Amino acid sequence: MPAYIGDAGDSPAPADPSSSVPGSGLRSAMAPARAAGRAGAVAALALLWLLVCGPGDSGCHLLTVADLFDRVIRHSGRIHSLSTTLYAELEKHFPPRDNELGKPARKCHTSGMLTPNGKEYAQKIPREELTHLILKLLQAWKEPLSHFNQHIEHHQELPDDSLSKAKQISNMVHELKTGVEKVTEKMQSMGIISNSLNGMASSEGTGLSISNEANMMSDSDFIHCFRRDSNKVQSYLKILKCRIMPENSC
Amino acid sequence: MEAFLPITPCSTARTGNEWCIHILEEKIYECPDYQASGPNSCYFDKNHTNPWTTYIITVMATNEIGSNSSDPQYVDVTSIVQPDAPVNLSLETKTSASITYLWAKWSPPPLAAVSSNSHVYHYELRLKPEEKEEWETISVGLQTHYKVTGLQAGVKYIVQVRCMLDLGEWSEWSSERNIQIPNGESPPEKPTIIKCRSPEKETFTCWWKPGSDGGHHINHTLLYSKEGEEKVYECPDYKTAGPNSCYFDKKHTSFWTIYNITVRATNEMGSNVSDPHYVDVTYIVQPDPPVNITLELKKSVNRKPYLVLTWSPPPLADVRSGWLTLEYELRLKPEEGEEWETIFVGQQTQCKMFSLNPGKRYIVQIHCKPDHHGSWSEWSPEMYIQIPTDFRVKDMVVWIIVGVLSSLICLIMSWTMILKGYRMMAFILPPVPGPKIKGIDKHLLETGKSEELLSALGCHGFPPTSDCDELLIEYLEVEDSEDQQLMPSHDNPSKNMKMIPKETDSDSGRGSCDSPSLLSEKCREPRALPSALQTQDVRAVQENKGAKRSWETQCIASEQEALLFNNESTKSSTWPAVQLLPNNQLPVFAYHSTVEAHTIMLSTTNVNISSVLVGNEEKHQSRYPVAEAVHDNMEKQREMEYSTTEQTTVQVKQNRHNDKSPFLNPKLMDYVEVHKVRQDEEPTVLLKHKDNNGKTEKYTVPGTSKEYTKVSTVVDHNILVLMPDSRIQHTPVSQEPAMETSQNLQQGQAEKNMSYCLTAPSDCKRETSGSEYMDPSSFMPSFK
Repeated sequence: MPAYIGDAGDSPAPADPSSSVPGSGLRSAMAPARAAGRAGAVAALALLWLLVCGPGDSGCHLLTVADLFDRVIRHSGRIHSLSTTLYAELEKHFPPRDNELGKPARKCHTSGMLTPNGKEYAQKIPREELTHLILKLLQAWKEPLSHFNQHIEHHQELPDDSLSKAKQISNMVHELKTGVEKVTEKMQSMGIISNSLNGMASSEGTGLSISNEANMMSDSDFIHCFRRDSNKVQSYLKILKCRIMPENSC
Repeated sequence: MEAFLPITPCSTARTGNEWCIHILEEKIYECPDYQASGPNSCYFDKNHTNPWTTYIITVMATNEIGSNSSDPQYVDVTSIVQPDAPVNLSLETKTSASITYLWAKWSPPPLAAVSSNSHVYHYELRLKPEEKEEWETISVGLQTHYKVTGLQAGVKYIVQVRCMLDLGEWSEWSSERNIQIPNGESPPEKPTIIKCRSPEKETFTCWWKPGSDGGHHINHTLLYSKEGEEKVYECPDYKTAGPNSCYFDKKHTSFWTIYNITVRATNEMGSNVSDPHYVDVTYIVQPDPPVNITLELKKSVNRKPYLVLTWSPPPLADVRSGWLTLEYELRLKPEEGEEWETIFVGQQTQCKMFSLNPGKRYIVQIHCKPDHHGSWSEWSPEMYIQIPTDFRVKDMVVWIIVGVLSSLICLIMSWTMILKGYRMMAFILPPVPGPKIKGIDKHLLETGKSEELLSALGCHGFPPTSDCDELLIEYLEVEDSEDQQLMPSHDNPSKNMKMIPKETDSDSGRGSCDSPSLLSEKCREPRALPSALQTQDVRAVQENKGAKRSWETQCIASEQEALLFNNESTKSSTWPAVQLLPNNQLPVFAYHSTVEAHTIMLSTTNVNISSVLVGNEEKHQSRYPVAEAVHDNMEKQREMEYSTTEQTTVQVKQNRHNDKSPFLNPKLMDYVEVHKVRQDEEPTVLLKHKDNNGKTEKYTVPGTSKEYTKVSTVVDHNILVLMPDSRIQHTPVSQEPAMETSQNLQQGQAEKNMSYCLTAPSDCKRETSGSEYMDPSSFMPSFK
């Protein structure tokens, strides 16, 4: 797992997103890269996994929005696959009390969020709102996932593989959120979406209560919910991408 | 060890093939086959099985200490026949006239040996309600089905059958079969939800299987509730997706929600609800197979065929919105092949297949799946593509054509080369030119600087350039005129005249040229020898020299001519002169003359004259073996006097130039005349020679003495060359001999014309030419 996990979400968004200056939270992670030499005219662009430009990589060009979208979509897909696997593993170790999906009581902590539950809704919703929704979903899982990681470590019976998966998922959600933020900034800077999002992003008050709710869930329910939301995020990202760039392999 | 081995009863399963142990009359046999029926058994195959006998069977156990036998068992094969149980028992409840009955069907036991006689089995059927212990056994008879009536409705029965051959034992009971006797009064069975599927991630459909109806019409109702909601909805659409299904349109389809679906079957007696089915629509997406699959064979650059597959996503799937992303997988195999080769393509809708076996017919199929969730679609219908074999063949044909064409071209090329080769050769190795005048420079000829040319020819002293030109022309033409020179007309007294000195040499070494009486005789003699012997030699020498000469002439022409001709005009003048003589005779000797002239030239340019001349002389000797005897004598003299001869010749030639100028115009044929002129002229040259021996020879021209006003040269001590035109001093002295010579000349001419040259012109020619060549030298001894 790459170690360059920065808490970019907490830091204010850079004024000029296209300049790709790493966020303050990334500084420490970027230290080795800087040590390696930032001599080149290229600014160290390795902003998380989004920007793969290595130091001194002269062939590095600024990524287009489509590229960024492709990456976040792929990333969300990987998260979803991981969570699916982890869910299966957890089900194996903690057999559900009810038959597989059939637990009406199962309630995800994000269920309260109004999210489009079909293609047409997802297409109708404004882009800014959809973007915000994605960010909100990711934000809503950040905290619970780190809690979940700490919690799951106490399960001695769980194989290390599952534990590492959980940890990986947590990290990837961080990265995904940063990536989506990056795309958002880029889209805002290009005028694709309005800047009205900024106000919404800050209002994360509901996040805490949601995460408290999440702590009450069983492990498998938790992962089940996360899996669903990761799929949601991926679907929304795809819809968003194809709405913004319909010509791009959509 | 004391072992008791009880013999378990023999069984003859598989009627006709006995699995048992037997004993026959008095004779004791051992078991034929311990293996076939497993451990602790003995199998009697058909050969060892006699149905009309009783077998007494004992088993003996033996170890190191001793043995022990079982009690004998008496076995009658017929009585121990026990078939296997019947198979394929199936039960059905049927209702006719509101009476429900059980219809049981089965099959006779499978025979080990099918070929054996068709056995007739008797069957028995037994049944009991599930919860009871007692069986009710019914004898069926020979048929393999049975109709059981009078059963309790709503009770589950267990049914079994068994069979028996005529005399044997009953088989085991077959495996149990259960059947629920429907109760007309009961509610329907529970339906089962088979599956739910969303073809495009927008709508979905669920299908169920109804339970047994219990004899009444059943109503099915699908009910569902969504996760987190208490409210239960009924299926919005039973019809769209066909019977026993429910179609959820877009409005009723929610994602990331779990549907709790149940189906209720209801009839008049009541209802039964299926087990709940939980559905998350995201994970039940199963698209339709891809469509518009096209297979196309293309040729790559290196002409290898490859297969291009293109397809379209299923029409229902809205991949453009990004809501559904499909991944594709294709598989293919040769038509006769067993294993599919599966290739995951990803999201692209085309694929290129390389490395297909030519000449095979491939089956290709494609299916698709949403990424990260859902399941694979059905495989698309099989597509066939024949990979042609003729790519190779075409290649071969092409190569063959190319090969044939190129070989043809090569043939033509080489042919033309052969044809034109001579010309090519002519370019590369030009034909050896005939005797050439060394001094003539082609450049000079071409540039037309006649004066230089003339000077080169030694004509520079003579104003009439036209003469020189003609001269030139003549020289050149002379080279080609071998044949014409052979004409008898050539054989003029001049030749004879020149023969004379040589023959005189051969005779005595002192023979004078003016003894005409000898002419005819001696002219004949030497001819025979040299003609035969020398021709070859001469030719060989000629060839060598010719080759050399061509080089030498060029070199000299280019390098030396300026020096030679400019500086030593007199010498250069000897050139044409020397050449002129042989030219009249033969080119063969013209070579020699030129060579000689050449050597002379060389010698003049600081080479020792005498030595070179001697060399030349030796060559001449070889050519004239006749003269060899005399040669010794001659050589010294020649060495001594050679320079003189040269000069004399020079003189002669110079004179001739003057004289010949009128005669040079006519060409080959004119040479005859030239000779004649010479004949006439030669006498005009008066050579006074006072020999040691006191011999005096005088040539005088009886008649007109023309332009011989030129200087008469005094050569060496004794030789005086006079060219008097008007000097009458000499004439009287030479009158007598002149008369003689003239007579002799006439005779010689007559003779030569008659016998000599006519008979063998070539010989004559050589002789004469040789003699002529020797002219200057031959004069010498005579002068002595």
